[in-house]
Amino acid sequence: MLRKKLPFLHSLLSPVSRHVGHLTGHQYDVIVVGGGHAGTEAAAAAARVGAETLLITQKIHTIGALSCNPSLGGVGKGQLVKEVDALDGLCGRAGDWAGIHFSILNRRKGPAVWGPRAQLDRQRYRDFIQSELLSTPRLTMVEGSVEELLVTEPNPEEPGHHRVTGIRLANGSHAISARSVVLTTGTFLSGSLFVGQTTSPGGRIGDAPSSAGLSHTLRERLGLRTGRLRTGTPPRIVKDSVDLSLAKLHLPDSHPTPFSFLNTHTHCKPEEQLPCYLTFTTPGVERVVRESLQLNCHIQQDTKGPRYCPSIESRVLRFPGRSHQVWLEPEGVTSDLLYPQGLSMTMPPDIQLRLIREIPPMRRAEIHTPGYGVQYDFVCPTQLSPALQVKSTQGLFLAGQINGTTGYEEAAAQGLWAGANAARSALSMPTVTLSRTESYIGVLIDDLVSRGVTEPYRMFTSRAEFRTSLRPDNADLRLTPKGFEEVGCVSSVRYQESLRVRNSLQDALTALQALFLSTSSWKKKLPSVPISETKSTLLTGLDLLQYNDVTFEMLASAFPESLSSFMEFAQRLKIEAVYKPHCDLNKKEIERIQREENMSLPQDIDYFSLPVSLSDEVREILDRVRPSTLGAATRLEGITPAAVVNLLNYVRVTEKKKETPQYFDGERVREDTA
Amino acid sequence: MLPLRPVCGGIWRAAVHTVRMSRGAPPYRLFSSTCDGAPAALADADTIFALSSGHGRCGVAVVRVSGPASATALRCMAGFTQRLPPPRTALLRSITDPRSTEVLDRGLVLWFPGSVPGLRPAEAGEFTRRAFQAGKLGLTEVEGLGDLIHAETEAQRRQALRQMSGELGRLYQDWSDRLKRCLAHVEAFIDFSEDELIEDGVLNRVDVSVSDLQAEIERHLKDERRGERLRSGVQVVIAGATNAGKSSLLNKLCQRPAAIVSPIAGTTRDVVETALDLGGFPVLLSDTAGLRDSSDLVEREGVRRARERVEQADLTLVVVDSAHLPSEVDRAAAFLREHLRSVLPDTDRCLLVLNKADLLPEKQRQKLDTELRGVSGLPAVRLISCQTNEGLKAFLTVLHSSVKTLCGDPLFGAPTLTQARHRAHLQRCAAALAQYQRYRDTDLALAAEGVRLAVTSLGRITGRVGAEEILDIIFKDFCIGK
Repeated sequence: MLRKKLPFLHSLLSPVSRHVGHLTGHQYDVIVVGGGHAGTEAAAAAARVGAETLLITQKIHTIGALSCNPSLGGVGKGQLVKEVDALDGLCGRAGDWAGIHFSILNRRKGPAVWGPRAQLDRQRYRDFIQSELLSTPRLTMVEGSVEELLVTEPNPEEPGHHRVTGIRLANGSHAISARSVVLTTGTFLSGSLFVGQTTSPGGRIGDAPSSAGLSHTLRERLGLRTGRLRTGTPPRIVKDSVDLSLAKLHLPDSHPTPFSFLNTHTHCKPEEQLPCYLTFTTPGVERVVRESLQLNCHIQQDTKGPRYCPSIESRVLRFPGRSHQVWLEPEGVTSDLLYPQGLSMTMPPDIQLRLIREIPPMRRAEIHTPGYGVQYDFVCPTQLSPALQVKSTQGLFLAGQINGTTGYEEAAAQGLWAGANAARSALSMPTVTLSRTESYIGVLIDDLVSRGVTEPYRMFTSRAEFRTSLRPDNADLRLTPKGFEEVGCVSSVRYQESLRVRNSLQDALTALQALFLSTSSWKKKLPSVPISETKSTLLTGLDLLQYNDVTFEMLASAFPESLSSFMEFAQRLKIEAVYKPHCDLNKKEIERIQREENMSLPQDIDYFSLPVSLSDEVREILDRVRPSTLGAATRLEGITPAAVVNLLNYVRVTEKKKETPQYFDGERVREDTA
Repeated sequence: MLPLRPVCGGIWRAAVHTVRMSRGAPPYRLFSSTCDGAPAALADADTIFALSSGHGRCGVAVVRVSGPASATALRCMAGFTQRLPPPRTALLRSITDPRSTEVLDRGLVLWFPGSVPGLRPAEAGEFTRRAFQAGKLGLTEVEGLGDLIHAETEAQRRQALRQMSGELGRLYQDWSDRLKRCLAHVEAFIDFSEDELIEDGVLNRVDVSVSDLQAEIERHLKDERRGERLRSGVQVVIAGATNAGKSSLLNKLCQRPAAIVSPIAGTTRDVVETALDLGGFPVLLSDTAGLRDSSDLVEREGVRRARERVEQADLTLVVVDSAHLPSEVDRAAAFLREHLRSVLPDTDRCLLVLNKADLLPEKQRQKLDTELRGVSGLPAVRLISCQTNEGLKAFLTVLHSSVKTLCGDPLFGAPTLTQARHRAHLQRCAAALAQYQRYRDTDLALAAEGVRLAVTSLGRITGRVGAEEILDIIFKDFCIGK
């Protein structure tokens, strides 16, 4: 349930420390650096697991700020929000509180790929996150800039291996010790801002650049490999200066669907929702881009930007002569601004104005804040374990853009998982992993740590090979029990609710299967349904529910005594029924992958001297990526089926020495990996 | 390498003995390394040997030895007491049993310098597997090589060569590429169409592609096992009433007295099999017991087996005693139709052989020969005489062309299926495409799952397809902006 009112923020600012002097010498379990989507989820998750947690950010009041687009969720991303919520994270509930335009994308394409999405009120979102963190036990927030990461000297027995001991703040000698540190520095790691031909250090307009000390520690002290990526944001437009009558009105769903499994409704009333507007670029836009290329530093750099969130410059250069979509999105209930989705740009501000005025509804538009580009360092994520811990540095965890991802949802998902593991590590509990067979979060992390990134990584449903099983509707069943029982990041209230849901769904499916009738009896019960008479077999209620035209409501009204008590789950039951045969088929493949994931490859193997027939190229890849399991090795680019068979043999031989586990025969592996 | 002539049983036993002899302290490592070279990879540490020239009828037999103890084997079995002959030079030597020094055979020996250090029999396909693991051969190529090694006839060899050169691989690769594109376009529609300009036309094009692919794969699958037949031989069964001359026909076809013939009805009681090369195509010819009701238990079993063979046959030669034919052509045709029904489940794949033509008067013979051709409801009919060889040549021509049709010409048209493994994956692929059609309008996620399964099934033949590859196609083909 949503609380009816958020606590008034200023009255609660007292537990927030703006002065850090008294923290010196204090020992925390977990320090989280950064207050964006990754940092806030990490801090909250660490505290939920039971760690004394400190969140350090440059400005308390930008905690929970939406730096770019005012929206959450979407296709693939909505699944991540649902999963973060199932693990008791913040972003789902924050979205329900701050959303001002809810819609489920892909409504007509099948429930597995539905994309819950909302336009957000920036202020409300930030308020919710801050209020939530302020009321989280064991969590302290402090303003400051981290100058240095404190690590031990390399372990003489394991050269190159360190342990994190804390951080040192800038302009002063404040050292704060901690067993685990989570870095969620976003675009601030050696960040540079680009507008036109001007470049300045920084990660976000209006914020001070982060200190170079942190980059230095990561690269020089810990020897981590880094890369450089770029991103950008569009100019913000003054709403009153836009003629919205020239754009296409786009209305939200008439019944907003909340993100969170705990909410039955959103904070925003259905009728209070705000619309979006759709418009298109003109040939004039392309002309302005081409004419101003000389004045555009950011676009001339060959740093990798996202292919799927390209600047308007990249769009018209890659696909010339076309008209591109531009969404005009509200920034909030009381905001005077519009966010032009699709117009991310980095040319000089006066040319930005010329460009947007080439688009009919914005003929006379005014820019409130110009768009700009950011280039920043990321740490190659193949150096991380599936717990998002730096392999060579005990206690150091990374989450968000620092791992080469883009997007709020991707950041939130990693933040939660890194924070929970940082807490577990600090509290001397084993770290935990999520399989790509059970969650999008698992897909995200596995892709990052076993394949690495070459461009900002964004989630798509097509990345999840088991997406018919990993649906937004069943994220709670997949993750909430595990989150409570194995991770410790889920409250008992949410856990109990997920058990109630699980048992009710199970009972309902049993009741449906108990309805066992001949086709003619079904025809009498449901005269409107075209049931084939040629089928002489008996059909269960579950079979019937798989029919396109049959809803659970229809069955419940035909058999009220056995089914009416499950009406609350009508939609979920329909989805379960349709997907059940496919999920059952998926199971075998899922089990195969899980077996491969259970075959771990020792982290200290010297791949170059491994007495296994492997090509130099394969040895080089394995040495660089150091996959933690055979499953991860299988998914690496450049790893041949033959190499996998040989690695499998090696794992078998080494594992056999320890125990006698069950393996599948080599022939099948060859088939499957071919 | 120790190439020798066909009878190589002695060599084989000697090599096995050499291995057993060498089972000392570390198993398979009796011979100390006498060769120089880099340290062997773990998997290659054993010395293996195998008859490399296929089993059964071979003009030349090749025994191949590979591994660290090869030199020792060559020394003690080919009589090189001092040092090895120059590499890559063939020498005619006596091959001796290293234990008894008994001469087993004479043959050419030659060796190639290799890298390394025990001897054990190669597991099936181990030489090839080593090449495969070393990344020297792709999967379809490995299968093609296996067929090449086992190729017994010219046509089989040509097909194996075609596969080795990757023609089949190319066909599957083309399907795989098209399927990947279909999947990419469906995925683009799912992941991006809500925010982007991806028009519905994309899905319509996928519909067309999926139907085309489905039709092509099903046509390929409906090659009626031609490719597999060419690998394993066409099953030709000789069937008919007792004493029609079935065994005589078998003996004529294989040009030796493989089956006992006698004037006594019911001489053949079991199935007599013989392999033959018919103009380049492999044929497995079976002679069967004459079909009649019998009280003899053994003969009844023989008849049961005969009927079973006919059921499984690719081609049945129904042999009829011409002397039993009614003299009138119309009645003869009716008689033959009736007879065929009693022998065969269907008359699609059979030839009618009217034997003992020499017993007919010349006039009737000609009449039958000309007028029975083209009578509706009858398969190809040929009058022959196993006694005088009359009509045999013409019959062989008809038989050859039937066998050729059954195998398909390996040099013509689309490459045929050669592996049961391919068939299974292709069937799964076609079924998965049907899933796309089924869910196309109701649930695109499940429809896409169908295409994804199809890509995976083909990937089992052509190689794995990753999500990144699909995304690459998406970004190449669409302007994705959000």
